[in-house]
Amino acid sequence: MSLLLRNAEVLFNDPVSVGLYHMGLRCPEIAARIQPGQFLMVRVLETLDPLLRRPFAVHRVYSNDPPTSFEILYRVVGRGTRILAEVLPRTSLSLLGPLGSGFRPPDQDGFMLMIAGGIGIAPLPFLAETLVESGLRGPYVLWFGGKSAGDLVCVEHFQNLGFAVELATEDGSAGRKGLVTQHLEKWMSRQAERPTMVYSCGPHPMQRQVAELVRQLGVKSQLSMEALMACGVGTCLSCSLRCRPPDRGQDLYYANVCQEGPVLLGEDIVWE
Amino acid sequence: MHNDESITLAVDLGPLRLKNPVMVASGTFGYGQEYATLVPPERLGAVVVKGISLEPRAGNPPPRIWETCGGMLNSIGLQNVGLRNFLQEKLPWLRPLPVPVVVNLFGNTVEEYGELAAKLNGQDGVNALEINISCPNVKAGGMVFGSDPRMVFRVVSAVRSRTSLPVITKLTPNVTDITITARAAEDAGTDILSLINTVSGMAVDVRNRRPRLANVIGGLSGPAIKPIALRMVWQVVQVAKVPVIGLGGIMTTEDALEFLIVGASAIQVGTANFVNPLVTLEIIAGLETYLRAQGFADIKEVIGTLELSERAAGTF
Repeated sequence: MSLLLRNAEVLFNDPVSVGLYHMGLRCPEIAARIQPGQFLMVRVLETLDPLLRRPFAVHRVYSNDPPTSFEILYRVVGRGTRILAEVLPRTSLSLLGPLGSGFRPPDQDGFMLMIAGGIGIAPLPFLAETLVESGLRGPYVLWFGGKSAGDLVCVEHFQNLGFAVELATEDGSAGRKGLVTQHLEKWMSRQAERPTMVYSCGPHPMQRQVAELVRQLGVKSQLSMEALMACGVGTCLSCSLRCRPPDRGQDLYYANVCQEGPVLLGEDIVWE
Repeated sequence: MHNDESITLAVDLGPLRLKNPVMVASGTFGYGQEYATLVPPERLGAVVVKGISLEPRAGNPPPRIWETCGGMLNSIGLQNVGLRNFLQEKLPWLRPLPVPVVVNLFGNTVEEYGELAAKLNGQDGVNALEINISCPNVKAGGMVFGSDPRMVFRVVSAVRSRTSLPVITKLTPNVTDITITARAAEDAGTDILSLINTVSGMAVDVRNRRPRLANVIGGLSGPAIKPIALRMVWQVVQVAKVPVIGLGGIMTTEDALEFLIVGASAIQVGTANFVNPLVTLEIIAGLETYLRAQGFADIKEVIGTLELSERAAGTF
């Protein structure tokens, strides 16, 4: 697949909640090629500090035919995202992508469970739209957890797509009180059928618990993982994640999250 | 004014002839394929591949990277596919390239360096070897060898005696006087020197008081280290009889020119590839523009032409 380096026009860059922003970007070539779960490396500033590009998942692709624009959702967590939050519409931003291996459709139609923790919601609307549009009937359920109610953005969008949405917040300001993973196991035990596929994105400890739960249930899962990275294309070997080696042997093996991921099979990740 | 045809960027690095002085640094360009749709490798002066060891290496545990002001710390630990996979899976793609392919090599022992050199010697598609005795992120070999002039001599000798390919020795900046290790490599028969590898450094997360890198210490690269690299290249070209490749924080044409002016015969671009994958092509075009604007016809008219006042000349 060919790698594109393109300047995209910022269409909008607005807060959607405290510390959470969504940015619209116009770049027809990338919009037409990117797949759910893939990401872009964005140069937030043309100067050399901050030096490295920042990885962002594509949140939604606008469904023009062919698509020309898309959206990223990001949380301001450090210097790069602080600078990004100041970017004005009509600015040009350098994008490298589409990158990585994204979500794959399930082998068969059935119960699709998506799990998001905090900004881990970012890649899931694009996936949800793609699955629904492809004619898979579900049923679809989203479990979405955050620190407080303000983190739980774009819930309505999932509901409009036909998802049943279950919420949890650590402070109890919306949905159940506590972590998603604290409630998920009990909730699962009450469901009549097992998920055909679990799609999950969120902080590492959440992903680990999700992987453990699906292992116990014998359910397949695809986890979108996060890692610090420099290049995004598999040359710097920074974004390593301990995984089972491709030959399924016992050797110590680190996968490149940027290439083999960011979406990895839950069963392939070695949790340490 | 010169037109494009009359501008020449070709440089000679001892036995190695490059059509332009812009190479990529090992570990920042994979095995050439990764960026190929953006940067056709045949447009580069040479391609230097990720360091190869006899056996595959898994590398260091994550986190392996941390961005600092104008730079990045890394501690990859020489993760690589190993010699056999390189020869079977990577080299066939590199072989038809019309530009030199330089294989960066790494061993845990002096003998391993020699064995790698022997096994790469005569491999169709391998045009030169770059000895990595400067990686700060491994426990055996690497910088441990590169900072001790006696070990530098032994490693370079081991490689030299087992190959007829041009040998480049990549030096570490983590020494008091880099001219001593440069001379040791030269005495052992290196054809070319390349410098600098990354500068040892570290960073701490103050919230949990843990190091940012799992390996604690890593190697700093990027524009932050360019003045250090430039100074060391300048020092080495004063004493070296063999050609020098300059690298360390080169981000722009101007950076590349600084290295050439102080006396590097070629340059390598590393971390900048991550920031701007097109940077090598931009530097090649930028060098042509510079030559034309300055009224030069040949890049060799620029190499080693640092202008010093008489007083300054006496102080080095």
